[in-house]
Amino acid sequence: MRSTYRALAGLIAIGVVLQAATIALAWFGVMNDVDGGAVYDEGTEYNAGQSLHAILGMIVIPVLALLLMIVSFFTKVPGAVKWAGLVLLVVVVQVLLAFASFGAPILGTLHGANALVVMGAAGMASRRVQSSVGAPEQATAQPTAGAGAGA
Amino acid sequence: MLFAVALGFVGWTWWGSLVPDTYSMDDMGVADFGGGEAVAHEAAHGGSAVGVDTLTGPPDGEPDVSETLVARAGKVEIGGDGARAVDGYTLNDTSPGPVIRAKQGDLVEVRLVNESVPDGVTLHWHGVDVPNAEDGVAGVTQDAVQEGEEHVYRFVAEDAGTYWYHSHQVSHEQVKRGLLGTLVIEPARGPSTDDVVAAVHTYSGQRTVQGMVGEQHVEAAAGSTRRVRVVNTNDGAVRTWVSGAPYRVVAVDGREINGPTPVEGKTVSVPAGGRVDLEVEIPDDGVRVSFGGGASLVLGPADADAPTDDEPKQRFDPLTYGSPADIGFDPDAADRSFEYRIGRRIGFLDGRPGFWWTINGSIFPDVPMYMVQEGDVVRMTISNDSGKVHPMHLHGHHAVVLSRDGVSASGSPWWVDSLDVRDGETFEVALVADNPGIWMDHCHNLIHASEGLVAHLSYVGVSTPFRVGGADHNHPE
Repeated sequence: MRSTYRALAGLIAIGVVLQAATIALAWFGVMNDVDGGAVYDEGTEYNAGQSLHAILGMIVIPVLALLLMIVSFFTKVPGAVKWAGLVLLVVVVQVLLAFASFGAPILGTLHGANALVVMGAAGMASRRVQSSVGAPEQATAQPTAGAGAGA
Repeated sequence: MLFAVALGFVGWTWWGSLVPDTYSMDDMGVADFGGGEAVAHEAAHGGSAVGVDTLTGPPDGEPDVSETLVARAGKVEIGGDGARAVDGYTLNDTSPGPVIRAKQGDLVEVRLVNESVPDGVTLHWHGVDVPNAEDGVAGVTQDAVQEGEEHVYRFVAEDAGTYWYHSHQVSHEQVKRGLLGTLVIEPARGPSTDDVVAAVHTYSGQRTVQGMVGEQHVEAAAGSTRRVRVVNTNDGAVRTWVSGAPYRVVAVDGREINGPTPVEGKTVSVPAGGRVDLEVEIPDDGVRVSFGGGASLVLGPADADAPTDDEPKQRFDPLTYGSPADIGFDPDAADRSFEYRIGRRIGFLDGRPGFWWTINGSIFPDVPMYMVQEGDVVRMTISNDSGKVHPMHLHGHHAVVLSRDGVSASGSPWWVDSLDVRDGETFEVALVADNPGIWMDHCHNLIHASEGLVAHLSYVGVSTPFRVGGADHNHPE
């Protein structure tokens, strides 16, 4: 369970990096299209970057954050639940900020800044479990801990 | 434990969001009587109910205007320099389809033939207050016309104005890809000025006017007057501005403006589905009407080289434009008052998790069914707190704008069938329920409609024999 927890937290952090990459792809795609004479309006379908950003941000990362929350109850590492809860909270805030930004684009700046908070929280969660694996006094010294880590 | 409860709640919400594969509009939504008499909704299910299919236009009589429109799937040719053909739909091999012209009082007959559109098609007469059976909504007023089938629409052109027609079957896809055209109803006495029809549509990133990208020249003698009928067939607003001469906004959504005054240096925002008629007197150098995305019309003598102004920042506002006039009824004596509150929240739409539109707090299909009786004066408060603009379109009726954000309309009566309600705005509108039937009242950003931003205005005692979904493959949105 701890390695699952660590992997999920790591994937969320990587997800944030991908989100930065996809939104850059989206915007350069728009500018390149406009350069070629395209018109962007309400009927315009998402380009590759926008589609990926929407799928990662609205499905993949929230699902990972939910799974992290569920897994955290079984890691028996102090603070794991707390950190998973924090990750889930900032992911929810991130999605809400995204939708609020359609009406108030200035909030998009917070959406960008909060992305780094998501990555930081996921990184901290990952490290939390990692450090507890290396610290036997915190681990609940069970043989299953090793088995869990190998699962 | 808490977690299990939460999981159970989510599962229950998911289950509750599922929409049946097929359903009748008679059973849709939550009946809302708007504070008026709660007349028996069951009447709609009783033997005495009037079927939507019986509310037709004149069944007999030689039509004054007769047209056959053949719908096909295939390439849409776009005119103008550098334009490329796109995959889409055509009517009589063109998109937009032919301009249908009628005079006020004419009986119009249009035969729609579906030659090769796989999903089936219909024609909705956008902005024309036709009898319900002619409204062209798949699954509500007719079955979608499948390949090899045809359907005849017959109605009297009662109100002069600028209108358009489009498919109301899988409309979010078919309209975008070209299944549309324009309808002009001229005054019975004949038009006072020559007109130019300007249907604006974006085909795969190409903004066009009457199917052409870029600048088009329209011959017009200096000193003459032209009425430019701007029709926005897109999913979002189109900004229109005029360079080289002042203009008057002489009609909105097919209704004349009373006492239009000259306007200069202002952009007119035409809502999705909306129409605005602009009147200009042609100067020697011509005049340019711009629609964004490089699309424009230059009206003037052959050598006219109208200026290319940037889009003015200032917006034309119909709320205060023109002079007041009698609207023919008293909105303060309303029989029913409805609320159409648009929001957005996390939830399930037919089992799909997401951030979905809500009407009065609930996600489709738990949306209101606005119940009225013939003759009712109806007030509706439309508000939007969803973060995005919604061009709200009511079928079969025109409503008059009473106020916006608490500020009363002070200009000409502002009649609408397609009204942009921007994020944070609240409109009060009023109408007379004078056209029995079951009428869609939805967002004309058709993607939003397909995401559940759809309600209906339903007359007590009217029911529909048609069903959404199911074997007839009716998918109006």
